[in-house]
Amino acid sequence: MEGTKKKRKPKTSDEASTTGELASLYAFSLHLACGLILAAALWIARAVESVDLVSDPSRTLRLVWVMECPVVILLYSLVRERPAQTSYIRALIRGALALPAGALVNALGAIALGAPVGTQYLVNTINWSLMMSTLTVVPAACVFGASWNSWQRIFACTKPVSSMDFMICLPAHGAIIGAWFGAWPMPLDWERPWQEWPICVSYGAIIGYLVGMVASLGFILLRHGHHHVKVD
Amino acid sequence: MSPSSSITCSRFATIAVAAVLLQSLGLFLFIFGFFPIKPALSGVSGPESFRAPWPDGIENDSVTALPPEKLKQLYQELSEISPPFDRLILMVIDGLPAEFVLGRDDKPPKDVFVEAMPYTQSLLANGFAVGYHAKAAPPTVTMPRLKAMVSGAIGGFLDVAFNFNTQALQDDNIIGQFFRTGRRMVMHGDDTWLKLFPGSFIRHDGVGSFFVKDTVQVDQNVSRHLDKELCRDDWDLLILHYLGLDHVGHLGGRNSFLMGPKLKEMDKVIEMIHRSSLRDKKNHQKGTLLVIVSDHGMTESGNHGGSSFEETDSLAVFFGLGGHTLDYASATDNSANQIDIAATVALLFNVPIPKNNIGVVIPHALNFMTDADKMRALELNSWQLLRLLHAQLSGLPCEHELVEDFTGDRKSVVSECSGNIEQVFCCLYQNAAILHKSWKFKRISMSNIEDYNNAATAYYAFLRTASQWLARRMTDKPVSLLVVGISAMLLSCLIFLGLVFHMNKALYLREDHHLSSSKKYAFSWHLDEIFLVGATLIHVISMGSSSMVEEEQYIWHFVSSTFYLLLIRKTAQTIPTDRTQSSLFLPMSQNRKINYPIISIFSVLVSGRILRAWHQGGINWANLPDISKWLKLAGHEYVKQLRLLACLLVIILSIYVLSFLWTRRKMVLVVGFSFFIPGLMVLKYIMSHEDDTSGSFTYNYSSTISAQKIYGVLGALTVVAVASVPWLIHISTSKACSNGDICLSTSVYHDVLNLSLLKEMRDSFYVIGWAYIFCWCLLQLLLQQPTNSLPVFLLLVQIYASMLHSFSAVPAHKHWIEVAAFYQLGMAGHFALGNSNSLATIDVAGAFIGTSDFSMLSSGVLMFIITYASPLLFLLSMAMWISMKDFSCLVTSQNANYGDLLKMMLGFPCVIPLCLNSVMLTAYTIILLLMRNHLFVWSVFSPKYLYVAAATICVYVGVFVVAATGTYIYLVVIYRKR
Repeated sequence: MEGTKKKRKPKTSDEASTTGELASLYAFSLHLACGLILAAALWIARAVESVDLVSDPSRTLRLVWVMECPVVILLYSLVRERPAQTSYIRALIRGALALPAGALVNALGAIALGAPVGTQYLVNTINWSLMMSTLTVVPAACVFGASWNSWQRIFACTKPVSSMDFMICLPAHGAIIGAWFGAWPMPLDWERPWQEWPICVSYGAIIGYLVGMVASLGFILLRHGHHHVKVD
Repeated sequence: MSPSSSITCSRFATIAVAAVLLQSLGLFLFIFGFFPIKPALSGVSGPESFRAPWPDGIENDSVTALPPEKLKQLYQELSEISPPFDRLILMVIDGLPAEFVLGRDDKPPKDVFVEAMPYTQSLLANGFAVGYHAKAAPPTVTMPRLKAMVSGAIGGFLDVAFNFNTQALQDDNIIGQFFRTGRRMVMHGDDTWLKLFPGSFIRHDGVGSFFVKDTVQVDQNVSRHLDKELCRDDWDLLILHYLGLDHVGHLGGRNSFLMGPKLKEMDKVIEMIHRSSLRDKKNHQKGTLLVIVSDHGMTESGNHGGSSFEETDSLAVFFGLGGHTLDYASATDNSANQIDIAATVALLFNVPIPKNNIGVVIPHALNFMTDADKMRALELNSWQLLRLLHAQLSGLPCEHELVEDFTGDRKSVVSECSGNIEQVFCCLYQNAAILHKSWKFKRISMSNIEDYNNAATAYYAFLRTASQWLARRMTDKPVSLLVVGISAMLLSCLIFLGLVFHMNKALYLREDHHLSSSKKYAFSWHLDEIFLVGATLIHVISMGSSSMVEEEQYIWHFVSSTFYLLLIRKTAQTIPTDRTQSSLFLPMSQNRKINYPIISIFSVLVSGRILRAWHQGGINWANLPDISKWLKLAGHEYVKQLRLLACLLVIILSIYVLSFLWTRRKMVLVVGFSFFIPGLMVLKYIMSHEDDTSGSFTYNYSSTISAQKIYGVLGALTVVAVASVPWLIHISTSKACSNGDICLSTSVYHDVLNLSLLKEMRDSFYVIGWAYIFCWCLLQLLLQQPTNSLPVFLLLVQIYASMLHSFSAVPAHKHWIEVAAFYQLGMAGHFALGNSNSLATIDVAGAFIGTSDFSMLSSGVLMFIITYASPLLFLLSMAMWISMKDFSCLVTSQNANYGDLLKMMLGFPCVIPLCLNSVMLTAYTIILLLMRNHLFVWSVFSPKYLYVAAATICVYVGVFVVAATGTYIYLVVIYRKR
């Protein structure tokens, strides 16, 4: 592990120095696109289908992931690792395959933490976990494919090195942590409709995702600026 | 590492024990201060209450056998008071502040309210009614206030705790007295009455107080009966409890626009009752008394529960419906206490004053009586209070002097009262008694209003002093006790934290000598550690919310599962990156190394999730479907088969785990076979004695005997195992060497000796820990409800899986993290077995398994064992956990010190549970103190405090067992080595 890390470092700094400007610009537009499509999905749910997370969580969540997922796959596949070896189509397929797999992992995690398993919650859970998969696993799958090295670096160690790493790592972690904190109000006896599974968890995840994107942008800009100072 | 900076083992133990003692002292002081022990007299007042309280009389037990009518007649004769009324209408208007009707500080009530209640105000102004500000004691919540009103006592909390299963009021009270004297009662309104007095009413229509938004229907449901009830004459007591006004307050506060109409509605009801009773007067010889009370007031915003004037300002109005005119003009002082209502009603209706009453009869309510009767009423009230005082101050010195008979004019005896509290009470009472006698004596010749007033004043002086003193004793929270208690707990909490930090430092400094690479690891905080600390903090803070206390099971499960998910992440960090980019093609041995930790975590998570689903738990969603309810529905046969299955699985899994120690073949065989016997006995018990768990509990001799046999065998085997294993375990230096890999690390003979010694200790810990776990599981299979048998097995799976994880995880987790994880699992399991923070979920039925006669102690111990099954199981498993850890670096170093070894082995398993528990205890104590005026302090926070205190005891027990076992093993092995 130590060895691989050392090998990676010069490469990434190299990458950053040459494509720093471009990376931050691309990161900005990518995050903006993801954020906007998320907002658009929620807006369409309210305006066109006249539902929202509280009144019909499963339809809203479905709309969110159906709209968000193609954008995420298309945009993140553009910045796949080793583009020479991996074709764009291949990255797209990876993303599409990762969607159900990531959903399964997310659903199992949520159930382990106490999400209800009754049949009346099944559709909710499926849609929620597909959304979570879109926010967390799919981008990484598009970019990294099956590289255990990168997956471990991003999800097990949380040690993002390149700008790309930040763009994948922080929003994904934000979504997971946000969802975790979003579960806390559920046992309270306020008798509000949004305390139902998975409404407040979804709210937490979306907020965490947005915060993560802002943080990732901040980190990338900071790194970029820092790098410039260093170069000068 | 210099030995001077480290604490020796004995000093460490001394500090820990001192901290435990300090904590238990603090806990004791706090409980003593916060929950006033109600000096209750048991039983109910009978005919003796119409006699003077001395000489310590012969209690006439035969009266309890009297039929109600006879009893009523007997009381009538004994009391010597001719009752002014024969029927009572008690109208409770929930949440009505007396200010709305009577005004405040000599100012009339607001015009809106006066206009809203024209009829009541006119009755009050004309002296047909007399109203009081009846001060209520906090907590100003309906149930305790109703209890206070009918029993005259300010309830303590612990009496709630002592009758877990029922909400029924068991103290002596006027409703009970009415019932015993054959009066027929009807209740319409808040169903709290039905919970308090089940089966007492001949007719009732209870309305729930749950839907606070409903201000109309709740009251219509009461009033719709009114017409019919007023026409009937088959009742002697009619209780009407209107909730609407309280709901109006909760919705819109005191100045809600609904308040005026609601008061008008109440006024209409009062008018209706009053007029109808006046009309009916001819049917009844004596007439009906209408008493209008409110249980508590409300704040400006309409809430209640606390102790502000607005909340405690409740109302009591007496309407003499028999055409009595009251001399209202003389009622200058119209303040009273809510508890006075019980004594007043009891005296007006000739039933004995409830035994624990501390109220004083309300002066103007006696105006319905003749002078002689008034005196007699005051005398009866005084006697009752004297009895209560006597129970509290056993040295009440005046008994003998009181027997003296006073005849003639002895006015000169009346004296100034001073001295200690006993003397003051005595003297005050004597003064009153003397004046009473002298008034009686004179009355024969002439009527003397002055003497009468003197005597009445003297009686009231005594009654008020006594009542105030008794009330203070029951409600006062001695601040000094609370402060001392909390600071003692805080101090011990800090000591425990300090000990944990010290242990952490000592352990990893020491390991540093050997593995300098782990330096970074030891001193940086890892995510799992940060998470545990953070989660503990969030948990502690969330305890400030009443619904989080009610639904605590979610928190424990959420936190422990998240922790294990984080462990998966941590394990994933160590999976080596491979050229082929996949971990599937690793060599077999490496694969297994990774698989064990992962598989064990998955087993913990899956069993944890099933456990979570077993009992829904909590308060608010307790009725949602869960596995245990489903099993109960599925039927008796399935439950029994599942129980047998669980028992078999427990036995198989345990034997399998024991067989890991196959290197000590003889030991394993002997222990395995001897412990197989109680396993079979429990199996047989489950097969043959299933029936007493279905339906009602019936005493079954053979099942009791076999349960007792199982207790005996389990206890004896455990003791024998603990005592003998360290002696019998095979000690051989050569063998330890021939095992190979341990010897390779060092060639010094001394170290080899030490390592083999360590191995023997670890093996002893393994066997004894195994014995503890197995016996405890068997005991739980016997005692727990039949539906809980599979959860016991799942808990066992969790234990062994996390053992396997802590054994196989590379790099090893920090010790304190592992112990803390065990503690978390234990608490999550506590709720998974169906416990909650309400006293109602304590399994009382299980506490009688194997007890041949009712004994508070044995069933209490059994109840504790059942309730704290899971935390104790995890604490006991600490003995086995010690054997999982490698302490070899401690004995092979140059300055190896056996004391340090013991400290390192026992330190974490003992101090971490104590520390976590003390954090919880201290924080919750502070929360409880802050919440003392909260609406739910008695219903939510206080029961939880009892659980926290019991959990503390549970941790003490578990830690003591582990520490004692560890010390014993250590001493024996060291002794045998020499």
